[in-house]
Amino acid sequence: MFEGMYAAAAGMSAQQQQLAAISNDLANSSTTGYKSERVGFRDLLYSEVNQAGTATTVGAGAAAEVLGRNQSQGAIQGTDNPLDLAIEGAGYFTVKRPNGSVALTRDGAFELNGRGQLTTSEGDLLDPPITLPAGVSPSDVTINSDGTVTAAGGRALGRITLVNVSSPDHLLADGGSLFSTTAASGPARALAGGAIHQSALEASNVNTSTEMVQLVDTQRSYQLESSAIQTENQMMSIANQLVS
Amino acid sequence: MDLGLFIAASGMVASQTRQDQLSNDLANASTPGYKPDATPVHSFGEMLLDNTVTGQPIGSLSTGVSLGKTYTDMTPAGMQTTNEPLDFGIVGTGFFAVQTPQGVRYTRDGQFTTSQQGLLVDGAGDNVLAQSGAPITVGANGTVAAGSLGVFNVPTAVKQGENLFAGTATGQGQGTVRQGVLEESGVDPSTVMVEMISSLRSFQSGQQAIQAINQTLQAASSQVGSLNGNS
Repeated sequence: MFEGMYAAAAGMSAQQQQLAAISNDLANSSTTGYKSERVGFRDLLYSEVNQAGTATTVGAGAAAEVLGRNQSQGAIQGTDNPLDLAIEGAGYFTVKRPNGSVALTRDGAFELNGRGQLTTSEGDLLDPPITLPAGVSPSDVTINSDGTVTAAGGRALGRITLVNVSSPDHLLADGGSLFSTTAASGPARALAGGAIHQSALEASNVNTSTEMVQLVDTQRSYQLESSAIQTENQMMSIANQLVS
Repeated sequence: MDLGLFIAASGMVASQTRQDQLSNDLANASTPGYKPDATPVHSFGEMLLDNTVTGQPIGSLSTGVSLGKTYTDMTPAGMQTTNEPLDFGIVGTGFFAVQTPQGVRYTRDGQFTTSQQGLLVDGAGDNVLAQSGAPITVGANGTVAAGSLGVFNVPTAVKQGENLFAGTATGQGQGTVRQGVLEESGVDPSTVMVEMISSLRSFQSGQQAIQAINQTLQAASSQVGSLNGNS
């Protein structure tokens, strides 16, 4: 009897999930290396309406969930900082948090800590660690596309390795642009053939105009579903008033 | 007792079911590859009416409406560009195939992702199949060539929910796969809104008919045959 109302309500709830994803994306439209959220909608199971054995089916609405992240490349923008790195293509930097746990990130805005080691802006060490000896300033350092770090004069300082997982959509977002591997994402494995650009940062891949259009679409769908609920409500009210 | 009441009620039930289907369509206005439902309404068989005195037939009377089998409008909808490497859309007819625990099912929704084993899967984690029926491996750079996804022709597709269709494939479908796009929902909100108004008004008309018959019956049971001054 009330299938229609519940179907429309399920649809509204799905649109709210979409709205939450859009809000998060818009808030992060300037975050380095941010990947926009990918929301998947699906319809729900169908049931037969009891109508003299005919196969009349009615659905139960829609549901939405975040499937993962949109993996398209963010724009690579040049900066003046020789410690800014951008990954072109797939792959992540590995960093080690103060508590010893390992995380992955696309945010390549690195800095030097008090001991000359490369860290993220939050203070997490690049793993394996790269240390600049005393007397070597960042402007003397060259980082090649394959990750090898050399100081002026050709002295090798180490290599920045990129890793990747089988299923990036199942990485757990920890905030601060960091991701942890999970059982569903698979372990992090060294990536052969990654490309690193020095003095550049990867911009967020959020397309603001697309997000705004999607916002309007979400609002419109929400309104339509609310009219469907009102129409169902009116029908129930008419039925209740049949015999006054 | 009075045939008119049941005729009007059958009309109201048909409008209510139509409204439920419209609500479901609106809820799925953002679901990729969703195809809207419609149910044809048939009139019940007609019955012959006879003149009770002479026995001569005087015509027929329809006995209300009944709902037929729900059919799904499989017209391909437009494509929405997402630039997501693992979003696929079929231009033309045909379905993607996924291997679910209940067997092979078909879908128009091409929003895929990578599983932990590096295979192409849908949102529920079921493997997407190539034309040969084998699972598809995702390349090291996280992309899959559009040509490696199988397109199947399923003439008897029945909606099952979860964006899946059940049916038997009869060979390769005619559509081509494009990467970075998703098929939009087939729901046209303006058509649905107009149909909602239409079903609400026919529901209301049914109510008016029932109330009119109710008043007639009331008059018949209380006033007809009463003597002056008595009820």
